[in-house]
Amino acid sequence: MLRLVSGLVSRRLTPVCVGGARAASHAHDVSPSVDMSKPMYWDRTDVPLPDKRFKDELSAGDKSLKEKEKGSWKHLSNDEKIALYRLSFHQTYAEMHRPSSEWKTVLGGVFIFLGFTGLVVIWQNIYVYPPRPHTFEPEWQQKQLQRMLDMRINPVEGFAAKWDYEKGQWK
Amino acid sequence: MAHPSQLGFQDAASPVMEELLHFHDHALMIVFLISTLVLYIIVAMVTTKLTNMFLLDSQEIEIIWTILPAIILILIALPSLRILYLMDEINNPHLTVKAIGHQWYWSYEYTDYQEIAFDSYMVPTQDLAPGQFRLLEVDHRMVVPTEAPVRVLVTAEDVLHSWAVPSLGVKMDAVPGRLNQTAFIASRPGVFYGQCSEICGANHSFMPIVVEAVPLKYFQDWSTLMLEDA
Repeated sequence: MLRLVSGLVSRRLTPVCVGGARAASHAHDVSPSVDMSKPMYWDRTDVPLPDKRFKDELSAGDKSLKEKEKGSWKHLSNDEKIALYRLSFHQTYAEMHRPSSEWKTVLGGVFIFLGFTGLVVIWQNIYVYPPRPHTFEPEWQQKQLQRMLDMRINPVEGFAAKWDYEKGQWK
Repeated sequence: MAHPSQLGFQDAASPVMEELLHFHDHALMIVFLISTLVLYIIVAMVTTKLTNMFLLDSQEIEIIWTILPAIILILIALPSLRILYLMDEINNPHLTVKAIGHQWYWSYEYTDYQEIAFDSYMVPTQDLAPGQFRLLEVDHRMVVPTEAPVRVLVTAEDVLHSWAVPSLGVKMDAVPGRLNQTAFIASRPGVFYGQCSEICGANHSFMPIVVEAVPLKYFQDWSTLMLEDA
């Protein structure tokens, strides 16, 4: 199943032999081309086991450790187990899931734009809007409120419904 | 009229508006349920560390999420159509009023028995009496009796307007050269405000509609007064 997957994965990422010639002509501004038709290594949580192990060339010490691995694992020390892991894999799950500071940049950008918008709003209020109608003054609003209650505006559930007419106060 | 920081509809002043309120509650509840479900699914999908690269078809869930929306749509359509036909029923009006839209005022004509006709202009902000409502008050209100089916014939003299009173659940376009009929029953006495609902030029926002529903006796007194003034 996994063979099929890795086959699918590698075939979807189409083989690039073209890159080689291109890379030779201006190697400074293209990313190094990867030959997708050969076994690759990757660190991914959804396809956890890559085509090949991380470390390609094993030193003598590595080779002897690999031999020791073939025996009982009880004889391996913790450091040896970690060394074996690092031979096969580049990152641990913890390293793959490490948090980044990207959110600080995003949040900072959002606040910058919000702040700028605030400045635009202030400028608008000073230089663009006409004076407020006199009906917004507190005295007028009071009289208006009283008139709305007297007229029984929205007496079912809305406005006048919330006024206690007997006690003369809000319910 | 609307009260400060109002979110929902104004209280109904006619039976049709009551029906519309209840239907809106019904449809909105369905919408909230669906939205909550979808939001939950989105959050669940985004916050999981599990992956499945081999997800192919699944007949059972496909059937469910086809049939269930169809059922939900039927549950919305049935009350909707009920109200639609309710609004179209023959209602034998006691009174017919003509509402004619002009640039930029309404005029009303009561010609069933005698000829009452008057213009209804918005009261300019500087002329308001203390406590009156800015951009909503008019000099002459359209007075109707309570508990009586009223037919309104809406038309326009110049450009398109629209005669709307939200608390009565009424909106009807005023088209020049055309008579549109709508009807309402004012279930309770009161003053009901509306605004022109079709763009008609510079003062489109300044030609409100005010319907004053009073018991029949007071309506008769008012019409007598209007005839004397005329």
